[in-house]
Amino acid sequence: MPGLLLRAHQLARGIVMGDHGRRRAGSGDDFWQYRPHYASESHRMIDWRQSAKTDEYYVREQEWKSAQTAQLWVDCGPSMQFSGASSRETKANQARLISLAASILLLRAGERVGLSDTTLAPRRGEQQIDRLAIRLAQSHTQDYAAPDIRGLLPHARAIFISDFMAPIKTITSALTRSADQGVSGVLLQIIDPVEAQFPFTGRTVFQSIGGELKHETLKANDLQTRYLDRLETRRTALIDLCRHTGWHYHRNLTDRPAQSALLWLYQALGEGQRAV
Amino acid sequence: MTITFATPLLLFAMLALPILWLLLRAVPPAPIKRYFPGVILLLGLTDKIQTSDRTPWWLSLLRMLALGLIITGLAGPVLNPQNMPDKRGDLLILLDGGWASARDWKAHQTLLDQVLRQAENDARPVAILQLAIPQAPNFQNSKIWLGRLKSFQPQPWSPSATGMVEVLKTLGDQQFDSLWLSDGVAQPGRASLLSALNQRGEVKVIETRQPLFALEPAKLADGLITLHALRLETGHERAITLRVHSTDPGGQPQILTRVKATFDRDQKRIPVHIRLPTELRERVSHFDIEGQVGAAAVALTGNSLLRHEVALISDRQDHEGLELLSPLHFIKKAFSPTADVLTGQLTTLLPANPELVVLANIAKLSKAEDRNLTQWVNQGGLLLRFAGPKLAASDLSRDSVHPLMPVRLRAGGRTVGGAMSWGAPKSLAAFPPSSPFFGLEIPPDVRVSAQVLAQPDPLLSQRVIAALSDGTPLVTRKRLGSGQIVLFHVTANAEWSSLPLSGLFVQMLDRLSQSVATATSDAQALQGTIWKPEQTLTALGQLEPASRLPGVAGEELFSAPLSKELRPGLYSHVKESAARNVLSPDSELLPAEWPLGTNLHGLTEQSETPLGGWCLLLAIVALLIDVIATLGLTGQLASSTVVIGLMTLPSGTRTAEAQQQDDAVSQQAFLASSELTLAYIQTGDAQVDAVSKAGLEGLSQTLFARTSVEPATPVGLDLERDALVFYPLIYWPMTPNQTVPSQQAYHKLNAFMRSGGMILFDSRDGDITGYGAASPNGRQLQKITFGLDIPLLEAIPPDHVLTRTFYLMQDFPGRYTAPKIWVEAAPQAAQKVDGMPFRNLNDGVSPVVIGGNDWAAAWAQDAQGNPMFQVGRTSQDSHQRELAYRFGINLVMHVLTGNYKSDQVHVPALLDRLGQ
Repeated sequence: MPGLLLRAHQLARGIVMGDHGRRRAGSGDDFWQYRPHYASESHRMIDWRQSAKTDEYYVREQEWKSAQTAQLWVDCGPSMQFSGASSRETKANQARLISLAASILLLRAGERVGLSDTTLAPRRGEQQIDRLAIRLAQSHTQDYAAPDIRGLLPHARAIFISDFMAPIKTITSALTRSADQGVSGVLLQIIDPVEAQFPFTGRTVFQSIGGELKHETLKANDLQTRYLDRLETRRTALIDLCRHTGWHYHRNLTDRPAQSALLWLYQALGEGQRAV
Repeated sequence: MTITFATPLLLFAMLALPILWLLLRAVPPAPIKRYFPGVILLLGLTDKIQTSDRTPWWLSLLRMLALGLIITGLAGPVLNPQNMPDKRGDLLILLDGGWASARDWKAHQTLLDQVLRQAENDARPVAILQLAIPQAPNFQNSKIWLGRLKSFQPQPWSPSATGMVEVLKTLGDQQFDSLWLSDGVAQPGRASLLSALNQRGEVKVIETRQPLFALEPAKLADGLITLHALRLETGHERAITLRVHSTDPGGQPQILTRVKATFDRDQKRIPVHIRLPTELRERVSHFDIEGQVGAAAVALTGNSLLRHEVALISDRQDHEGLELLSPLHFIKKAFSPTADVLTGQLTTLLPANPELVVLANIAKLSKAEDRNLTQWVNQGGLLLRFAGPKLAASDLSRDSVHPLMPVRLRAGGRTVGGAMSWGAPKSLAAFPPSSPFFGLEIPPDVRVSAQVLAQPDPLLSQRVIAALSDGTPLVTRKRLGSGQIVLFHVTANAEWSSLPLSGLFVQMLDRLSQSVATATSDAQALQGTIWKPEQTLTALGQLEPASRLPGVAGEELFSAPLSKELRPGLYSHVKESAARNVLSPDSELLPAEWPLGTNLHGLTEQSETPLGGWCLLLAIVALLIDVIATLGLTGQLASSTVVIGLMTLPSGTRTAEAQQQDDAVSQQAFLASSELTLAYIQTGDAQVDAVSKAGLEGLSQTLFARTSVEPATPVGLDLERDALVFYPLIYWPMTPNQTVPSQQAYHKLNAFMRSGGMILFDSRDGDITGYGAASPNGRQLQKITFGLDIPLLEAIPPDHVLTRTFYLMQDFPGRYTAPKIWVEAAPQAAQKVDGMPFRNLNDGVSPVVIGGNDWAAAWAQDAQGNPMFQVGRTSQDSHQRELAYRFGINLVMHVLTGNYKSDQVHVPALLDRLGQ
């Protein structure tokens, strides 16, 4: 876990702290604008320094900054513990890395970060990084799980990271229920290149990592196109789902750097926030 | 090439192969198990085609091949089966068995073995005849012959016509079949024997097809060795390699050189020229043809390549100039083309054992010379004397015949045709038939104007071998022991006669030297000599000592055909040795011609070879390939290779480690040899080693600062592993627990000290016990130095060069101030000379310096250059440390400059001389 944390920190450092501001007046430290004083307002609100320069009364407004809540769901089930080649890390590892790096970025920006299940409520501060790391390091036993949204707060931001191999129905229901609560967020699908290509031939028995599912074929190469069709169908289904609910969808293969996925994730979150 | 099977019926099993093919193709390969999370997407997908992947055709083919090989292997295939048609009746086997058979004797033996076994199966009586040793046929059970088979050996002569006739006579009227193993060389009498055999039964002739090469004896002309190589069959180009064998000065046989020669298509006889330096040529023992077995391919040289050594002795050794008047000039010119001419003193030349000694105009010999010369002549030497003024004036052989003179001489000699004498200069008379010069043509212009005269004597006429026209002897000869003494009654230069100027002189000398030295094939010269065989040549071409063979008459040695009595080899007669070779010069090899209709076969090398084992081996290989291919197909090859790889991994890493270690050692050696480096012995005590290192670093720094010695960083040495030769000075502190070095390390240490290195032993105990065994360090010092080659030691004398190599000092303190240190003792002879400050001592570097002042601690500096240890009392600290450094510098200087400072003792004397 310390290694993961370190890598997450390094990854997070790679993202330049950009525009966190909400671009609107509100409670915050940074100056936003001076506006004329309304008669109905308290005199205490007048910025006397500015007002002394003219005959008008001015009120100094700060930029509105409100801490957002981001809630993570990272699939660490058996299906994520897969890597198509010994040189590649597992899907779960990349999911953890990206989610942890995103958490670090969010926490640094002052947001509250937690898990979408009930195990870790959203909180602020550096301490939360360690708690998250501990929770994320635990593997789940349930294969092909759907996002757990029991602890999801209304109007929070959600980050779901998984290979989304679970039955599409469960995913749809989790997502629509979240959207109903006013939650917006992102789906990050992480897939191994082997899963995306299906480079198998010959007589093969395919087995899920947990060992629950088995499928035997006499000619694996014969299945390739049909499998890839199904995978594509799954992808378009997820994209459709996101479009309807206002979420964002991205797919990352484990042979591509986590950096790009993180960058996308960060920007997608920013866009979502602006849309609020 | 034919193949038969032991159990051909088994081959019907091959019919089952096509069925097996179908079966193998039908059974699919085992499924591969793969973990794959995407399996959830596969659920419900059915295979479109129900037939699975078939086994690949090439894998099936491989399996069929393996099976086919197994069936073939079990059926017992045999290559080249040897089937002799079975016959009844007696069988006579004739072997040529001469030298020409040697080249294929092994095949003959193998064939004989087969024939005899076959005959044993058929219960035929067999007789074997070797034509080279003719005898009557003796039909016996072939089992007896089988036991005697090895005793048939080829002979170094060839079957003769008379031998064949002998055999013919003994054949009788019996009916039998014959098998004739011929060597393929034409022999008279072969045809008649064949027809006789044909009358008695079927004859089968088996002739060897091996090429036959032979060598004629070597000849030497003008320094060029010429040999002729012969061959039996023509019709194709063929290159051969001649080997020149010799013995090296140590007596070991060696091959001097190889010479290539090529027979053109139709050439049967080619000359091979070999040019060798004289010294090498005289060591040549024989020539042979590489790859050709047999006595005929060997040409023994005997002494035919030797050049005679002629020793020329005259009275005027110190004379310079006037070359043409030199008594030896013409003799030298006459001999030099055919012999090695030695000049000098008789005493030095006689041990070289020349064939011929020439004494020109020498009357007096010392007693020892006289005795040695007589002995040498007795052993077969030829002493050639020339007359001259000195000989004429002396009393030599005046009253009685001197042992080294052929005749008595009259005083004074005579001069004819001069201004003060009667008559004209005399010419030579024709040589009598008994003379060795007989037959030489006498040029009409040879005139003799002066000579010494022989006393008339009853023996004189026998001894004259050349005379003048008036009958006075010109050349006389006497035999002495095995040798002879010849006197020319004239001078060897043109003073007394024009004989030395004529070609006749050269011919005469040539005849004389030949008559004694050369083993020529000249029957006349060999007449009456008996030659003793020394070594004989076997038919296979090897020399073996000839014991119990009778001597051979000289006239037969070269001319008579070879036989049991006259074998090829080396023969000796007195001092001479001659070689009789299988072939005589200008001989010819002809292939045997068999009459038409002869049942003639070639002798094939092919023998019966069972192939079953090979088939089964191939099948196993095929199956192994199948295993690998199957593993590869099911994706398990990688894991298998990992397993195999893991099994081989540990050894790999070990060698890598060893390699690294070696690299480190050589790296260290490289650094040490590129710059001056001080070194210390690692004791194994980390604390002591650290102090040693720091101490030598401190000393190196000081040397760097004060002298032109600029040492590199000091190194610690592991005695067992590191090379010591690169370090001039090694510091060796003693610790009680140090291990005693191994024998090998002691070798290194001794070599190090012998080659000028120095070891500074430091017992580090302040010498409290005077190197007794009371201190643990002292004990250890004794134990360690026990194995070292340490010279006699003494406490350092006040005039030791170590006291003045850089600083003048008498004390050598370190952390302790014990006064005594020990160095190699000065030689006993060294005495102090008056007026000199010191003795002239220490030629070389003391290999050891032993002390106990813990110098390293005094020298030790930390990284900042501050002293690490307190030395002496506080007030004197810096002074004592300074003295320790000075000792270190003196020590290094002593090692590097040796006794350079000792040479300074001469400076006062030199200055003294300069002053005057």
